[in-house]
Amino acid sequence: MQTNRPYTASRGMSDYQLKMAFIMPTMILLILMNIFPLLWSLYLSFHRYKASMPAAPRFIGVRNYSRLLADPEIWGYFQTTAYFVVLAVAAQFFIGFGLALLLNRDFRYKGFVTTLLLLPMMLSPVVVGLFWRFILSSDNAGLLNFFLSPFLKSPIGWTTNPKVAMLAVVIVDTWMWSPFMMLIALAGLSAVPKSLYEAADVDRASAWFKFRWITLPLVSPLLLIALLFRTMDAFKMFDIVYVLTREGGPGTVTETVSMNLYKLAFRNYNTGKACAMAYILLIIIVALSNIYVKYLNRVKGEA
Amino acid sequence: MRSVHISLVLVVILTLAFVSATKADNHDRSLTIVWAEWDPANYLQELSKDFTAETGIAVDVIQIPWPSFQDKVFTAFVGKSDLYDIVIGDSQWLGRNSQGENYINLTDWINENIDVDSIYGPAMTAFAEYPKGSGTYWALPAEVDAAGYVYRKDLFENPDEMKAFQEKYGYALAPPKTYDQLRDIAEFFTRPEQDLYGIATWYSKEYDGITMGFQQVMWSFGGAYGDAENYKVDGYINTEDVAKALEFYTDLLKFSPPDAPNYYWAETLNAYTSGKVAMAMNYFAFFPGVVNPETNPTSHDKSGFFIAPAGPKGHYISIGGQGMSVSSYSKNKDLAKQYMKWFMQKPVQEKWAALGGFTPHKEVLQSDTFKMASPFNEAFAASFPYLRDFWAVPEYAELLETCQTNWSEAISGIKSAKDALNAIARKHEEIFEDAGYYDE
Amino acid sequence: MRNRKSFTHYLILVLVAVAVIVYITPIYWILATSLKGLADITTKLPKFVFEVSLENYQKLMPSDGVPGVTHLFLIEVLVGLLFFGFFSLFDVKLPSALSIRNLGLAWNAVFVLTCLYSFLTLQPLQSRFQTDARFNFLLLIFCTVIAYLLMAPFKKSNGIAPQTTRKQLLTLVLPSVFGTIAICVALANGGSKYFYQLLNSIIIGGGSTILAVGLGTLAAYAFSRFDVAGKDDLLFFILSTRMLPPVVVVIPIYLMYSALGLRDTHFGLILLYTTFNVSFAVWLMKGFIDEIPKEYEDAALVDGYSRFQTFLKVILPQSVTGIAATAVFCLITAWNEFAFALVLTEVGGRAVTAPPSITSATGSSGMDWGKIAAGTFVFLLPVAVFTFLMRNHLLRGVTFGAVKK
Repeated sequence: MQTNRPYTASRGMSDYQLKMAFIMPTMILLILMNIFPLLWSLYLSFHRYKASMPAAPRFIGVRNYSRLLADPEIWGYFQTTAYFVVLAVAAQFFIGFGLALLLNRDFRYKGFVTTLLLLPMMLSPVVVGLFWRFILSSDNAGLLNFFLSPFLKSPIGWTTNPKVAMLAVVIVDTWMWSPFMMLIALAGLSAVPKSLYEAADVDRASAWFKFRWITLPLVSPLLLIALLFRTMDAFKMFDIVYVLTREGGPGTVTETVSMNLYKLAFRNYNTGKACAMAYILLIIIVALSNIYVKYLNRVKGEA
Repeated sequence: MRSVHISLVLVVILTLAFVSATKADNHDRSLTIVWAEWDPANYLQELSKDFTAETGIAVDVIQIPWPSFQDKVFTAFVGKSDLYDIVIGDSQWLGRNSQGENYINLTDWINENIDVDSIYGPAMTAFAEYPKGSGTYWALPAEVDAAGYVYRKDLFENPDEMKAFQEKYGYALAPPKTYDQLRDIAEFFTRPEQDLYGIATWYSKEYDGITMGFQQVMWSFGGAYGDAENYKVDGYINTEDVAKALEFYTDLLKFSPPDAPNYYWAETLNAYTSGKVAMAMNYFAFFPGVVNPETNPTSHDKSGFFIAPAGPKGHYISIGGQGMSVSSYSKNKDLAKQYMKWFMQKPVQEKWAALGGFTPHKEVLQSDTFKMASPFNEAFAASFPYLRDFWAVPEYAELLETCQTNWSEAISGIKSAKDALNAIARKHEEIFEDAGYYDE
Repeated sequence: MRNRKSFTHYLILVLVAVAVIVYITPIYWILATSLKGLADITTKLPKFVFEVSLENYQKLMPSDGVPGVTHLFLIEVLVGLLFFGFFSLFDVKLPSALSIRNLGLAWNAVFVLTCLYSFLTLQPLQSRFQTDARFNFLLLIFCTVIAYLLMAPFKKSNGIAPQTTRKQLLTLVLPSVFGTIAICVALANGGSKYFYQLLNSIIIGGGSTILAVGLGTLAAYAFSRFDVAGKDDLLFFILSTRMLPPVVVVIPIYLMYSALGLRDTHFGLILLYTTFNVSFAVWLMKGFIDEIPKEYEDAALVDGYSRFQTFLKVILPQSVTGIAATAVFCLITAWNEFAFALVLTEVGGRAVTAPPSITSATGSSGMDWGKIAAGTFVFLLPVAVFTFLMRNHLLRGVTFGAVKK
């Protein structure tokens, strides 16, 4: 191969070598740290194995899977997760995009204001969950109930009332991650050429028309990428429910799949079963995001 | 470029100086003890200074916060970490840690080196023996503890309150002896407009919160987790008695602060020390913080203590406290044993009790000095005959998890008491079946 | 017409102000709580007027007092930030003897001397972190060397690189990074567990960010400029690794790390967080490098540069913005990661990072909200400062190649 490009031979690495040298470290890392563990957990998922016990894995076929798929509680956790993903990502999308539209103009201290708005996402989710416990408290100087007190008869039990607990988790997650959506939307908006708007002004186009036919098409590919990342992250959500609602309480109202999986793997040490469950989750996520990426590529192609 | 050279020279000097100085390191004779994050661990660190003075072995007590105590210790064990030499672990852990080969078997060593008769018998059974009654020991009791109550003396002894209570309920206001009285008193003191509530007890889904809080009510109402002989659960935990107990426990929420469904020991302490409740349940080992003016400025001098009340069908109290075991991954097993032998000596146990530790040493525990040492030690000593424990089998974590989830659902009104208990019975039998307890 | 426009303008400003207030209030509340005494925290209603107390911050410090050398480091960081920040932000013209470079060198020389002093006056350690102090010092030395190596070629403009970025990098970012490390080292050696964990967070977060951005940039360049067999599939594979919920991989990783003895090591966590972030870095950087015109490279190749030199001298300087934005995201993710840190580190162990331990501040009177707030606030500061310094790059850097110019 190198012979095809004689002029590079005299100057150190050939293009091919360079390409390999650049790509290989990343691929090796990903294979070592992702593919290998995945294969291992695939192996374990067909075995009865408890990491906390000295007994070696015992092959039991698909029993872990059949047990899990037949368990209505597991599907309950999936439902909880889906419910959370839809609510949280939708809220983050609209609020984040709205904020970006507001901020997409020149004013003094814009950089400073943007950084201030980004602060929530710089915090650790687990710390956010913990501190919001304090803010959402209904008997110990809870800030949110204090601000809502003129409108309410009694304080809302944000993390204790099964009807609103999920809403509390969504609020916290939205507070934390809508800035991410805002940042990406803002990046997209600031790249829209001003000349397009000027041309539309000449035609006396309405504000809605400009938004619908100029802003949205140009920003949507980026928004979709942001949505993809947020959806994937929301699916994995563990930290906030772990501390905010005490491991997914009240009852199992906010117990996401990740939370349940953590308990299965690191409290009960049902390692084989946990691996099987991880695989079920993995298949669902990969299927969803595959559809999503296909759709994304189509939108990108049109834009 | 010259400044670069200067800096490089500086760096070299720094490195040399550093390398030569680190030779002074001498840290191979040290012992690491891991325990939960609470005052007794601080007392133990304090106590261990004497051991260091005697032997020159440094002792470090690492404290893990309660909500993640179990998880962190087990991830370390399963990961075969040699960081911890001595583990002071919950009594429920014995089964898993003995069968998982995480604790070393101390039977022979204890019989040779320790006077077992000097240790309070039930504590030895609860914290050291597995399987129960087998005479096989995996630990030495370190801290004996029980759930108890703290109450506001100033409220209970206020003449106006006493009169009003007498009129309303027909008997005198005093620390409750039964759960019915507990309920009356809790109801009596519930005054949301004054930000005062009757009771704070454990309802949290974290670790073993609601289970430790509720199980004593369950036992006292006539329930049980199951038959320890044949591991049958159905018909023990899902009886009418237990359903009544669970409804009673849920009912207490009406007299608790709004956030009570999230309360575990930290939150109950917060509620009590901020003057929000008239009575609060907690482990006795947390009560030093209640009588300490620094951590409890509002009511440190107005607190009284009583033992958990009796129910209609018995009197049982959740056991707390932990035993001291040697990790099988430790590289300092001999040092660890040396420390444990030292710890069990009577003078050391006396000092341990004086610092605030709840000693397992029979004589020290029953001495008057101990009972007078703090305002809560008497109630603590009185709780002793009533202590009971959760399952200690290797599958305890799954059993616990099921209880936590279902009871949490029951108290927040997601499931009826009956449904929750039936679900627990079904799941528990499933877990036992999977683990092969019904095989023979 | 003009009036109406200014009305909407003000309306929008008011809305922005409302949004800022909503988003900042919880953070303000963290700060306020961290400055309150115990009695002001557990009140029935939130207290907005309170007596400022530093007791919560004192709880984070070593119990036997703050080592004197910490103050020296602190002064150096502040001087570095204020002094050099001032010059680089406002681009003041200075006499050549007082050029930013010379001042920077002088500042760093003082810094190294302080390190030396701190080392020589170091008290014998009582805490269990003794062996790690050696590692910390090696790290410090390593950082200093890197700082000087970076300073050395900083001569006159070499044409393509945006000057202000480099100036900012050298005069603002480096001093504050090293100063922060030095402060943490001093306090950790003094016996503060909190700052020991913060130091771990810096080592692990920083190390994995550098690695992830570095590997990601290399791979992104290759994907952007060369024909790679099955490119789309490979890229999807890289992206799909980010979709894995941590709990899915954490089980086998946990078993693997236990077997290899990588649990509770800095190296293990750096490797792991790098894996986490590298897929994101590849995607972000590829989008960015795609936008750099190929003509620049061709011109350099014709001038006799090799491919690699072209990458170093043309592509890298052009993609500073993308690198900065990627670094911000990678740092935030690695800095705040909790699930893996919970399972893969030991309490009281070598490599434990701050997030699992900040959340565990329970005292003998229950939850110590003041200490949690103080810990959170200190933990937020480094990332917030870093993001603020990178703010100009952030917007332009996160386009994922989705915006066509």
